[in-house]
Amino acid sequence: MKAACHRSLWIARITFLEAIRQRFFAFLFILGAALVLASGAVRVFDFGHSELKFLADFGFGGLFLFGSILGVVMTAQLFFAEIDNRTALTLLAKPLSRAEFLAGKFLGIWAVLGVFVLVLAALLAAMLGWRAAELAQLAADRRLAPPECDLAGLALYAALQWLRLGVVVAMVLAVAAAARTFLFAVVVGALAVLAGQLQWLSQELLLKPAEPGLGQAALWLLTHLLPNLQQFNLGDALVLAPHQVAAGTLPWVFLSGVAYVVAFLVLATFLFRRREI
Amino acid sequence: MTAAPAIEVRHLTKDFRVGLKGVKLRAVDDLSLSIPRGQVYGLLGPNGCGKSTTLKVVLGLVPATAGEVSILGLPSATAEARARTGFLPEAPYFHKFLSGRELVRYCAHLSGVPSDRVESAVEEAVALVDLREAAGRLVGTYSKGMLQRIGLAQAIVHDPELVILDEPTAGVDPVGAAAIGRIIEAMRARGKTVVLCSHLLGQVEQVCDRVAIMDKGRLVLEGAVEEVLERRDRHVLTVDALTPAALAAAEAALVAHGARLGAVTHPRRSLEELFRELVTGSRDA
Repeated sequence: MKAACHRSLWIARITFLEAIRQRFFAFLFILGAALVLASGAVRVFDFGHSELKFLADFGFGGLFLFGSILGVVMTAQLFFAEIDNRTALTLLAKPLSRAEFLAGKFLGIWAVLGVFVLVLAALLAAMLGWRAAELAQLAADRRLAPPECDLAGLALYAALQWLRLGVVVAMVLAVAAAARTFLFAVVVGALAVLAGQLQWLSQELLLKPAEPGLGQAALWLLTHLLPNLQQFNLGDALVLAPHQVAAGTLPWVFLSGVAYVVAFLVLATFLFRRREI
Repeated sequence: MTAAPAIEVRHLTKDFRVGLKGVKLRAVDDLSLSIPRGQVYGLLGPNGCGKSTTLKVVLGLVPATAGEVSILGLPSATAEARARTGFLPEAPYFHKFLSGRELVRYCAHLSGVPSDRVESAVEEAVALVDLREAAGRLVGTYSKGMLQRIGLAQAIVHDPELVILDEPTAGVDPVGAAAIGRIIEAMRARGKTVVLCSHLLGQVEQVCDRVAIMDKGRLVLEGAVEEVLERRDRHVLTVDALTPAALAAAEAALVAHGARLGAVTHPRRSLEELFRELVTGSRDA
């Protein structure tokens, strides 16, 4: 077990080094950071919302959008780079199991996404902290209650986003393990993420009273097989209204995220098991 | 009890499905081979004859359609068997952002070299392939010959008993090919079994103890190099001071005994033999 972990960590280390050298990563990383920093300059266009909510939405949007794109494209790219360049041939001829190889790939990509989430969340925290302090001062001058902004909640939100991206990476790895081409893996992976994002719709439909039939069975299957990626988006509640998060919500979201990561990695290993390299 | 062969292939068949209709293409057809330990074994054949597929099945990279394969007595797809095997694939590609030394270190960790032994194993492997000076450079800057040699280093860093080399001299100039030949001989001297797939038949003849020739997925010939190259239906007599009269008498005697003189030529020596005779001899003197 220790040897298997050691080998997976070496695969993860090289995957991480390969990923951070990619221009695509640098491009989206800079774009995401620029978006968060630019939110301070365009906060006057807050469309009637509170200013802190406007800033937070910018940051949450950047994390969600660019994180998802990075998760899908980078996973497919790094997986197929090993297959197409035939480095997998050299690696899998060693006493390295396919499960260890996939676990290493997952950890390497997830670590890169961790850096992405950490930096964007730190920038967002700086923006929110700076503006919240200014607004609190203004509110104190007017003898009003200061606006709520919980930076510890932001840290929790960042951790949840990282876990959500872990689910995305594991899901795309499962798709890539069965796919023949990079493009197929990206398109199907992106559709799976989109379906996961909209999974709550099928949950709601399932709750409505209806005759049992094929449609209901399909809905049940969709609800139980696809992860509900929307459940990780607790940013508003955690950062701007920290007392609104129901007890038990966070442990449930965390546990279901971990369960989906494990389930998709097991599926990826099963699909990759007999793949010809 | 005799030790199990380095590789044992029994009735191996491998089919690929190609195209949308899934038409069956037989790459390896009922192949049986037994590769003894401690020898350099040449696996030869034209492109597409099934050599590389056979090696991939042996290494567990491709599942067999039928048949059994074992490495050193162990089922070939197991991690334990692969831990005792080194592999250099055809036209190897490595991560360009790693230096040669980093690449070999990475492979040492994946191959199960104990952490306290990794550095010495890396230096030993890099020295064996004569890349000590260039080992600090990025792999992306390596020439084709250097890539093959660093590929060899990653294959042998864990000191495997069996080394499988798929076209190690492809695209390498004669000097580089000769260097790779010397490395193979050094591995044989260390008691390793080397399986060599190559189109450089001259080199195969020079370094291999046994060869197998495949065509269209089937084994067409297998045996010791000396045996398979020897023509048992013909004979060579080396005669000193042959006069025309002696030749005529010999020919008549042969005909009388039902034999026939095929050709009378002068024996040739190789350029290497002549070179050694002239240069090494004068230096020794």
